[in-house]
Parts: sequence; structure tokens; C-alpha cells
Amino acid sequence: MAKILIVGEVHNGELLEATLELVTLARNVGGELSSLVIGSGVAAVAEELSKKGGGKVLLADDAFLENYTVDAYTQVICKAIDAESPDLVLIPNTSSGWDVAGKLAAKLDTGIATDVIRIEEDGGDLVFIRRMFNAKFDARLRLAGSPRIATVQPGACEAFEGTEAGSVEALDVSGLESRTKFVELRQAPAGGHDLTKAEFVISGGRGLQKPENFEQLLKPLVEALGAQMGASRPVVDAGWLPHDYQVGTSGQIVSPKLYIAIGISGAIQHLVGMKNSNYIIAINKDADAPIFEVADLGVVADLFEIVPALTEAAVAAKS
Amino acid sequence: MKILVCLKQVPHKDARLEVASDGSWIEEGNLKFEINEYDTYALEEALRIKDAGDAEVVVVSIGPERVVQSLRTALGMGADRAIHVCDDALEKTDSLGVAKTLAAVAKDEEFDLVLMGLMSDDANYALTGPMLAERLGIAHAAGIVKETLSDGSVEVERELEGGSLGVVSLPLPCLLTTQTGMNEVRYASLKGIMQAKKKPLDKKSLADLGLTASDVEPKVTVEKIYAPLKGEGAEIIEGSASEVADKLISKIKELGLL
Repeated sequence: MAKILIVGEVHNGELLEATLELVTLARNVGGELSSLVIGSGVAAVAEELSKKGGGKVLLADDAFLENYTVDAYTQVICKAIDAESPDLVLIPNTSSGWDVAGKLAAKLDTGIATDVIRIEEDGGDLVFIRRMFNAKFDARLRLAGSPRIATVQPGACEAFEGTEAGSVEALDVSGLESRTKFVELRQAPAGGHDLTKAEFVISGGRGLQKPENFEQLLKPLVEALGAQMGASRPVVDAGWLPHDYQVGTSGQIVSPKLYIAIGISGAIQHLVGMKNSNYIIAINKDADAPIFEVADLGVVADLFEIVPALTEAAVAAKS
Repeated sequence: MKILVCLKQVPHKDARLEVASDGSWIEEGNLKFEINEYDTYALEEALRIKDAGDAEVVVVSIGPERVVQSLRTALGMGADRAIHVCDDALEKTDSLGVAKTLAAVAKDEEFDLVLMGLMSDDANYALTGPMLAERLGIAHAAGIVKETLSDGSVEVERELEGGSLGVVSLPLPCLLTTQTGMNEVRYASLKGIMQAKKKPLDKKSLADLGLTASDVEPKVTVEKIYAPLKGEGAEIIEGSASEVADKLISKIKELGLL
């Protein structure tokens, strides 16, 4: 039977939902489960995880671990692997997950799959399913080495909601060192363009071709429909709109009643940020764009024809 | 200051990708290739450090003959010399095999800084950077949006979730992987392209780097790639622009938003 170690993640003293998603995934794979909670003053989080299906929870609690550093976290995960000898290590694919996972796999000289959305059993072996080519394709990966490591896309599984009696054990975390020094955490400025509570978001992507088109083409539509404007990452990277318009993993996670994606192909980081919208409409000239996989309604056409027509119809509908 | 920038050549952003007949990768035959976008920010950052002071910028790329074009582009943008690692044994290797190869390239060079993109636009693994740092025994930070060098160390801003930033300081030498949008990437000037023709471009095989095929034996195998299963996809509406607009408006009304 497989042994699985979940590397939990704590944000601001609270257990990250993605950790409970790993519990669901691990239980689907099946086997003996243990988890790891890393931080300073996080005993209550470890207790919580042990009651929420995390199995035996190893508690790495030390003042040195108050702030994430890749060196110290790698050392702690290695200690947990030494203690538990898992066959499979699961890590949330967050900003710390992708910082630490590659280093860990290289240190252990073992196989790793990142941003995994599913794990299946096939012929007595595990197959790791993930997106590739910016979500244009799915891929099935097989891993050699031990333990095998997978980072898992947040939101790929439902969070485990059961309760059961687990246990918490302290992990010896003496002798930690880090070459990287934590300086500070800068929170995103509050009071900006908040899309997280918006009912209706219309986002534009690279398909709009130039910044003027956001002002001249998209904005009239957004205003006619009384929506909020969002954007994909390439638009923000190019400086066409400020960062607080960005929808996606590194921007805002939105869940409006209606999300309209215009000229957005749908890279994973964008899809993760909007796929929980109640209803999704996509307008894109490429019928194979991944955005159509998550959309409820799709229009495969030139946005430069559709958007003006839609704006006109919206204005007419209101008058 | 000596800087290594690792570049991957990937299919052009707007290329139409199709699965190859063996099902395990894309058909590369008629594709146009370009430098991985994430890596272009790493190169630009290195060139800015060079512009601001005294630095040698070395670019390296692994791949078949076609990657020479990307290395020439990087030289045209201002890199000083290029290393092209070309070996049949690297064709099916994985991120760790790439990291081992790049570590062999960097081994005797004593770089102060190693830069590359957070991930590649083809496989999207985001592994090579942290793996290379581990193989080189140096500190790293993944997904940076700003770096400030000072004597013997570098302070960086890492992009975290929801727009917050983690600021950390690393001792040199170290490795940084760059997020997109961290700077405005320059184009190669005509003068730069002319000068690039005279800049050194070394070609190396695994044997030249003291490695064998078994050193880069993959632990990760892509068994199959395929278009995501359809069926859950969108209901596609068709018609003239005004017909489509009318249908969309009725849907928006149905949702109670108009």
C-alpha cells in the first residue's frame, strides 16, 4: 500500500484550502496518509488538519519557520520524508510550492510532476495528468524514483469535508539554516479595482491587440452592460492596464454571476482565476482556445465585429 | 560580474500546435520558434545589469540546430557570448536532465548570477531553475518581478498570490527565475545583429561537458498529450454579428443582469 505525505500550507496562521484539496486527492489515490504543517505557532493548524482527514500530522513548529524561506522549508520536508518514507509527496502548486518543489526533487534525485490536476492508477502504476502548452493540451506523465513528487493545482479537487480523529506529532526541526533572508511581505494595496465581489465581469485579452481598444471598444460595452472590466495577464504585463485589473492566480480570483472573456485564449493561470464564475461566455476567433473548455456559451468569431454589435444591442436593450 | 542566462526555444506564441503521430509531443516540423517569453525577461534583466556597470552576459540554450537562431538573437540584443548544447541524448530528457546539463555548463565558469524564466511556454513545468540551483549548490528565488543588486547580495521581490509580494535577500552567487512583465524587453538593433555575427558561439556535446547519456536519463516520461476532452465545452452560438449579439443579450437578461 502506498504511503502519501501531504505538505500542508499555512497562510497568515490559517490552513490553506488547497491543503484539504490534497487530502481529497490522496484519499482517492488510497494508502496511508500523513501530513506536514510548517510554521511558527501553528499547533492549532496541525490539530485542525488532523481532524479534517490529514491522518498523522507532523508539526514543524519553530520560530525560524515564521516566514517562508525555500532553504528551511526544503530541509523540513526532507526531515518529514526521512521520518515517514512516503512513496508519494503532494505539495500545493502555489508560489511557495513552485519555489520549493523543483529544489526538493533535484535534491532527492527523483521524478516530479507539477501543476497536476488528476492522479489515476493504470496498470499498477500512477499516472499524473496535467495541462501543457498553456492549457492547449492535457498530458499523462509517469514518474520514476522515490518518493515521487507532485505539485497540485489549487482548485483541481474539492476540499475534503469529513472529520475524523487523527494525531499530531512534533517533528524535530533543529539545525535549520537558510541562505535566503526574509525581508518583508508586501500585501497588495487595498482599495484598488476590486473584482472579487463583482457580479458581472467582462475581461479583455491579447486578442484586443492594442491598449486603445480597451478604451474605445471594450469600455463602451462594459459601461453599457454595467459590468466591471478585467484583463488577462499579458495585457497587464504589457502595461495596457494596471495590475488590479488582472484576473488569475497572480491577480484576482473572481466568481461573478457572469464572466465574459473577450480575446482571451485561456492560459491555466487565467482559468484558475475565473472558472468558478456562475456563467461564462467566451468570444475568441480560435475555436481550439482552452477558454471554450470552461465556457458555457462560446462565440467563435472576430471580436472586432461582435463587440460593437453587442454594445449596440446592449444600449438598445436598455432604452 | 558574470551572468549566465538560460534560454529555451519554444514554438511561437501564435503557432497552431498539433499532436505528433507518436502522441507524446507536438509536431514540430513546420513550426516557427522563438525564445520562451519568460526567459526574455531574464535576458533583459541581465542586459540592464550590464548596461549599468561592468558585466559579462553569457547565454546558453539546449536543443537542436534551430536554437542557434535564438542564441544569435540574444547576442544581437547585447549578450557577449553563447553556448549551444546539442546532443541526441538530450532529446527525451526531463527537467532534471536539463538542470544537470546546465550545471555542467556553469561548473567552471564561476557565475555570480544565473537567470532564467520561471517556466517555459511549452511544458509549463517551472522546474529547471530551482533544480539547477540545487545542482549548483546556490540559493535561488523563483518567480521574481524585481531585483536590486548590492555588494555580494541581491534583494528580490517574489510574486505571491493575489498581487502580494515576498521580499527576500540572497547572497551571491544565486539563481533567479523571472515572471513575465518584470521589465520591457528590448529588440535587437541592426547594429547589434551585425556585431552578433562576430561574437563567440560555442557548440558542446554531453561528452564535452563530461556527461554521458545515462546522466540525463529521464525520470519523467510524457506518455501522451492530447486535446482536453471535449463535451464539457461551451455551446457555440453562430450567426451574423447582430444575431449573436441578440442571443447574448437574451442570455444576459436571463441571468438577471440587464
